[in-house]
Amino acid sequence: MKALTANRLSDGDVVFWNAGQWVERFGDAQLFDDDQAEAAEAALAAGKAQPLAAVDVYLIDVAPVEGGLAPVSYRERIRALGPTNEPTHGKQAEGGAVVEALRHASGAARSTGRVDLIRRK
Amino acid sequence: MYRYDALDREFLTDRSNEFRHQVARRLSGELTEDQFKPLRLMNGLYLQLHAYMLRVAVPYGSLNARQVRRLAWIARTYDKGYGHMTTRQNIQFHWIKLRDVPDILDALAEVDLHAMQTSGNCIRNVTADPYAGATAEEVDDPRVWSEAIRQWSTLHPEFSYLPRKFKFAVTAAKTDRAAVKVHDVGLILHRAPDGALGFEVIVGGGQGRTPYVGPTIKQHLPASRLMSYLEAVLRVYNRHGRRDNIYKARIKILVAALGAEEFARQVEAEWAQIDSPSADLPDTELARIRAAFTPMAFETLPARSETFELAKGVSSSLARFARNNVKPHKQPGYAIVEVSLKAIGQTPGDATADQMDLIADLAERYSLDDVRVTHAQNLVLPHVKLDDLPAVHAALAQAGLATANIDLASDIIACPGLDYCALANARAIPIAQDIAAKFADPDHAERVGELKIKISGCINACGHHHVGHIGILGVDKKGEEFYQLSLGGSGAEDASLGKILGPALPADKVADAIDTLVEAYLKVRDGDERFLDTYRRVGLEPFKEAVYAHADQA
Ligand code: SF4
Repeated sequence: MKALTANRLSDGDVVFWNAGQWVERFGDAQLFDDDQAEAAEAALAAGKAQPLAAVDVYLIDVAPVEGGLAPVSYRERIRALGPTNEPTHGKQAEGGAVVEALRHASGAARSTGRVDLIRRK
Repeated sequence: MYRYDALDREFLTDRSNEFRHQVARRLSGELTEDQFKPLRLMNGLYLQLHAYMLRVAVPYGSLNARQVRRLAWIARTYDKGYGHMTTRQNIQFHWIKLRDVPDILDALAEVDLHAMQTSGNCIRNVTADPYAGATAEEVDDPRVWSEAIRQWSTLHPEFSYLPRKFKFAVTAAKTDRAAVKVHDVGLILHRAPDGALGFEVIVGGGQGRTPYVGPTIKQHLPASRLMSYLEAVLRVYNRHGRRDNIYKARIKILVAALGAEEFARQVEAEWAQIDSPSADLPDTELARIRAAFTPMAFETLPARSETFELAKGVSSSLARFARNNVKPHKQPGYAIVEVSLKAIGQTPGDATADQMDLIADLAERYSLDDVRVTHAQNLVLPHVKLDDLPAVHAALAQAGLATANIDLASDIIACPGLDYCALANARAIPIAQDIAAKFADPDHAERVGELKIKISGCINACGHHHVGHIGILGVDKKGEEFYQLSLGGSGAEDASLGKILGPALPADKVADAIDTLVEAYLKVRDGDERFLDTYRRVGLEPFKEAVYAHADQA
C-alpha cells in the first residue's frame, strides 16, 4: 500500500494527499493499494503539479500494524507523528487511535519508506 | 563584544529586505523551488522533517543579553518555545514557517544577528574558544581574529561558491575548546620565543564520511599576514577542490591527496603572488576591531571570596557545581561559569525561551553582558564574580540549569538526528537521554570523571562522534535503527579519531553497552586516569570483550 506525502510550502508542515488535496493527518491520507500503482503515480504527478502548495512530493510505503496502518519506515512515522523526544510537539499532540498505532509500529528506520529516495544535501 | 556600525546595520537590513522579496516571489510562484532553495540556504533556512529550520549564526559563540532575549522571543513567537544549540556554536529553531522568516530576519537584524553563512558552500560562521577573553591560558583574544575572518569572509565574492562548505575554528589557548584540529582550517594563536604573535595553521581536518585530524601546514604565521595566507589557502582549494564529487569536495580530501607538504608548498607559492598591503588587515582596522573587545570593566578583587567559600561549605550542590562547572578566570575574584544544557532526561543543547531569558538576566546582572555558546552545546557566563556564584547557582538551579556535569558522561553531544533532521539514519536524542539516565547519580558520574560521549544520527557527524571518547553513530541496518560505537576519539588538543568497537548495536542495547564500557574502564583504570587515557593505555580489546561477551549472553 502507498500514500503520497510532502511538506507544505508556506510552513513546511507534513501533508498527505487525498483526492486532489493536501491534508494534515496521516489518518486522512488516501491509500493506494498495490494494484493501484497507476493511480498512485497519477497522484504523484498531480501533487508535483501544485508547486505552490507543497514541496518535496513523494510516495511512501504503508502497511497494516496492530491497531491500524502505519508508514513502513521509521522516518515516515516520525514525520507523521512529530519528534519522539517531544511527545507534545507536532501531529502526535492530538492523540487518538491513529497516533497510537503509529507510535507502536516498529522497524524500517529510513530507507525503505521513501519509494524514490534520493540523498540530497 | 564587536559592535556593529552604521554600515554593518545597513548591510543586514538590505540583506533581510532582499530575502523578504525572494520569499514573496517564491510564494507567488515567480521563483521555482529549484531556484529558491539555494537562496533560502544562503540565509540559513533548511527544510527538515516537520517544518523549516532556521539556523542563526552566533559569531564565535558570543552573544549579549539583548541578543539572547531576542532569541528567546523568536522561540516563543515563531517556534515552540525553545532553541537548539549546535556543535558549531550556533542556535537553530526547528519549527519555523517560511512565511514568518522575513519577519524573523528583521527581528534578528535589529539586534545585529543574522543567519548568513550557516549553510551552503561558503565560509561558514567562525567558531572559537568559548572562554575567549576570560581564560588566563590565552595569549591573545581569539574573538578579535575570528571577527576579522568573519568580516573578510561574509559574502566574499571569490569564496561564496566553494567546492564545499568551509569551516574555521580559532583558539588562543593550549587547552582546545574549539576542536581546531578537526576543522577545514584550525588556527592556534601563540607567541614565538621572541614574543611575536602568530598562528599555527592546521588545514584539512574534518569529520563526516572521511574524518581527518588536520596536519599543521605552517608552524608560525605572523599574525599580521593572516588574511593573505588564508586567501592563498582558499585559492588553492578553490582551484583544485573536487567539485565533481560531493564526497571528495572538502579541503581535507585535497590535502590528503596532495600530502600536507605539497599542499603547503602550493599555498606558499600562491601566497607569494598576493599583494600583502591589499590583502592583509590594516593595523588601523585590527585596532578598531580589537577596541570592541577590550577592556572589560573588571573590578579589582581578592583572588579568594569568603562569601563563596562559606556558601560552598554549607551547600553540597554548590560545591559540586563549583567542582564541575566553574572554571578559572584570568581576573582575580572572577570565574567562568558553564551552564549545562544536559539535565538528565533533557534534549541535549535545547534551551527554553524562559531559560534563555533567565540567562540574559544573569548575564546582564552578573557576567558583564556576555554569554557564550560552546561546541559541546552548553552555555557559558564568562565573567562571574566569585562573590556572586552562590546567587548565580541558585538562580540557575531554579530554572533547571544547574546540572553539575560539564565534561562528565551525561554531558553528551547529540545532533538532532532522525527526530528532526532530513538526512538522518537514526535518532540521536533518545539514545543520549537513555545514556544520561545511567549517570543520573551525580556521585557516580563524578567518580567516572571526564568522559565525552558524542552521538551523530548519520555519517555527516554533526554530533562529532569520530572525536568522542565514546562515539556513537546511528546507522540504518535493514530498516532498524542501529548504533555503531567507537572508542578513543578526541576533539581537543590531544585530537584523535575513534576506532570502531565492533558490530553495531540495536537502540535498546546502547545505554547498557556504555555502562559496560564504563565498568570495564573502572576495573582497569590507573589512579584517576581519564577514560580516554585508559583506552589509550590498554587498547580496544578489553572493551570489545566486555561489550560483546555481554551482548552474547543477552
Ligand atoms: S549528523 Fe546527520 S542526522 Fe545528525 S544533524 Fe547532521 S546530518 Fe542530521
